[in-house]
Amino acid sequence: MIEKDLLEKVLNLALEKGGDFAEIYVEEKINNSIICENNNVEKVNTGREKGAGIRVVNNGNTAYVYTNDLSEDGLLKAASVVSRAGRAGVTRGTVLLVGPSGPDNEITRRTVPLVTLRMPEDVPIDDKVQAVLDANKAARQIGEEIKQVTVAVADNHKKVLIANSEGELVEDERVRVRLAVNAVAARQNMIQTGYESAGGMTGWELFDQVNPEDLAEKAANLAVKMLDARPAPAGSMPVVMSAQAGGTMVHEACGHGLEADLVQKGLSVYKGKMGEMVAAKGVTVIDDATLPGKFGSYRFDDEGVAAQRTVLIDNGQLVGYMYDRITAAKDGVSPTGNGRRESYQHKPIPRMSNTAIAPGTDDPDEIIKSTEQGLLVKRMGGGQVNTTNGDFVFEVQEGYVIEAGEVKYAVRGATLIGNGPEALNNIDRVGNDQGFAIGTCGKDGQGVPVADAQPTIRIKRLTVGGTSVAGPTIKSIRRR
Amino acid sequence: MYQDYYSSDAEMAGKLLDIARRKKVEAEVFVMRSRELSIEVIDGQVDTFIEAEASGLGIRVINDGRLGFAYSSDFSQPALQKLLDDAVTMAKYTTQSEHNRLPQNAQTYPELAVFDNNISHVSVEEKIELARHMERTARAYDSRVTVIERAGYEDGEVSQLIMNTRGINAFARGNYCGGYLFLVAEQDGDAQNGFSVSLKKSYADLEPEAIATEAASKAVRSLKARVIPSARIPCLLDPYVMTRFLGMIAQMVDAEAVQKGKSLFAGAIGQQVASASFNLVDDGLYADGIASFPFDGEGVASQTTSLIEKGQLKGYLYDTYTASSDGTDSTGNGQRGSFRGLPSVGTTNFMLLPGEKSRQNLCSDIDYGFYITEVMGMHTANPISGDFSVGAAGFIIRQGQEAEPVRGVTIAGNITELLKDIDAIGNDVRFFGGKAAPTVRIRSLSIGGE
Repeated sequence: MIEKDLLEKVLNLALEKGGDFAEIYVEEKINNSIICENNNVEKVNTGREKGAGIRVVNNGNTAYVYTNDLSEDGLLKAASVVSRAGRAGVTRGTVLLVGPSGPDNEITRRTVPLVTLRMPEDVPIDDKVQAVLDANKAARQIGEEIKQVTVAVADNHKKVLIANSEGELVEDERVRVRLAVNAVAARQNMIQTGYESAGGMTGWELFDQVNPEDLAEKAANLAVKMLDARPAPAGSMPVVMSAQAGGTMVHEACGHGLEADLVQKGLSVYKGKMGEMVAAKGVTVIDDATLPGKFGSYRFDDEGVAAQRTVLIDNGQLVGYMYDRITAAKDGVSPTGNGRRESYQHKPIPRMSNTAIAPGTDDPDEIIKSTEQGLLVKRMGGGQVNTTNGDFVFEVQEGYVIEAGEVKYAVRGATLIGNGPEALNNIDRVGNDQGFAIGTCGKDGQGVPVADAQPTIRIKRLTVGGTSVAGPTIKSIRRR
Repeated sequence: MYQDYYSSDAEMAGKLLDIARRKKVEAEVFVMRSRELSIEVIDGQVDTFIEAEASGLGIRVINDGRLGFAYSSDFSQPALQKLLDDAVTMAKYTTQSEHNRLPQNAQTYPELAVFDNNISHVSVEEKIELARHMERTARAYDSRVTVIERAGYEDGEVSQLIMNTRGINAFARGNYCGGYLFLVAEQDGDAQNGFSVSLKKSYADLEPEAIATEAASKAVRSLKARVIPSARIPCLLDPYVMTRFLGMIAQMVDAEAVQKGKSLFAGAIGQQVASASFNLVDDGLYADGIASFPFDGEGVASQTTSLIEKGQLKGYLYDTYTASSDGTDSTGNGQRGSFRGLPSVGTTNFMLLPGEKSRQNLCSDIDYGFYITEVMGMHTANPISGDFSVGAAGFIIRQGQEAEPVRGVTIAGNITELLKDIDAIGNDVRFFGGKAAPTVRIRSLSIGGE
């Protein structure tokens, strides 16, 4: 994308007034999306964007500049601005890039290249539109009560180049495809929705594995089913989370708290607990960016560090945090390839990739059968965590009441609220299955694609927030 | 800086529109240029300093009722030509609709003071000092304030140029500044967060000490919070919490959601959708509003739109497309967050108007209730079904007084019921970003706890 000579010039200029580390991140991307709603192909959009972010790190502090101007003048101007901001450090001499540059360099050779069978830009737009229309039709065929269907397919192809004052130069490509279906069902004054999505670090061959029509039918069936659902119970109870529910729970309950920046700032309930038991025996949590084709996978992180598999919790014991370069240097360890950024407009920070609870040995059906009373979660939605105290919430998109070991009726409008370490310690059954879900994870105003997974698990006690309250109703507001 | 670009951008857009006319398509060029400065201080040190500029443009094409869109950050001649060609190509694949149209040039733009020269004139050193001052003030507030996650100052400038083949020619620039503070208070092994964010149109309006004090007091008073038993009890929603609910309501008054059967307010014009004390407006002209701008993302003049009056639904928010579908006029709500997307219905300054009672008054009438100051996972609330079930924290109210702190509970219900269950509205209206609300009292709400 940019000549090695210019990259060196930029890095040297950025460090001219001092600093420990300089880096340039260049990105060129194409985004395409198609949206069908109201039975119409409403949007077929395409966009191209390129930009560069240059940073200087000085004593762990970051100065960051970004620009869309990738000309020599533009990049040198940005480097000059960032050097001014990063002043008051130790001045270093000229730093030269070492080793062969580009895709043949040593670091690049160590990782598995991206294999994309069908690049999204090679797929005729007609074929993409047809896939979206087929999904729309499939969802609407579920019944009269389906009032609206939104189908969106998006693909992006991103080329990145990362060079730094350590002499490293990495070039990489990322291709992601994502399909999402939202179905709206209505009956009298009630509206309910069903949502399904699939995506991966993959080309259009994603749809060899995922049939858009099947996905659409699932979303529509869920919306209709929720019309019949009863209000969710409120209160503390055992909760079984099915493998197909996805891994929002592990993402929120422990993932964020194991990101090294939060730990180092004293903002994690897991700080100072390395080596301690932080989850029940039998619970192993892994972040793995190397899984082929998953939505949170990558070959290099956004600092040019090779992706890796990092065990975070091993059989209940805390064994690792997720690091980017800055936090790793602070703790005197190697970065774990978790330095990610949304785009050239953002500085990299520690982020999850594909985060999972590893499968155990229990039979998933038996876990439900052995539950006297509680909630079965078949699909999770979004969530949020307060890493400082570990409190987390997540949405239940599809839930059922369990009575006497049997799955009874569907419930709607439930949220689960709990505390990370407490919930992980209360996991008493771990199934031998595993299911993935995808999402966009937000942190510090940056969204990055992630996947998470878990086996069927049971948590002894968790607070369910529904509207069907067993406790007292008080409506007294005195008038004056 | 933007005045420098204006004439060249307008010339470039004019040329693109000429090419579009020759291709016999309608077209709109939207150019956005932005600048950002962001300073984060931790322990007196500038932890992160970001200074940047970005720009890009989007072209919307309508060819025989079919819509195409393409965007780019590349202003070079070949890229611009390709951009227009791409947009024309995209329009081949979309469904034809008579409502795909561009606004006409019959706009009179209001004179609004949306640019404060002070923001760019104040030195970077002074801005860093402002962030440091917030951090020091927060630490001095209480010794239990142990961690400053980030003390930040930020400002931004944005210019928008919109020109279309129907004669729209709109240009304006605006800016804003803000301070924020995220921190932690600790006592006896318990850790609680506190934060405060304040965005202003004018540098002189920034109140660093107020930000610091609010963040610190929030964290300190939440220490030792505990779960309470499940119940249905009267609740006070603090202005911040109420603005989060306004986010749900914003999607319910969005004409696109209404027309597509994705709003519980569909067909409800003239009906009582909230208690009689509820008055809601969208005001793109509000003097201190962070979202004020002379025109929307399509070049339609901004206006004030009354949505709910005395609990009665009066109207919806429209862009040009949805207005055409309903045979009405755009309300100037065709919003655009960046050059990367098409305009779609969105709010400007979205405000729940204040009532008469003070917060203390609202509280003093409650024997046993829950004063909710934080919600968690609000993005999971479903604006289509109206169902919400979210984490909540705050304080118990006993005999009219704020008592011990609460955390780890949920509040759940449906927004349509919540609106009708509003019992009184406070006079303490506050802005959080582009949304403003006072404290609101709810007769009863489901709490999920022990």
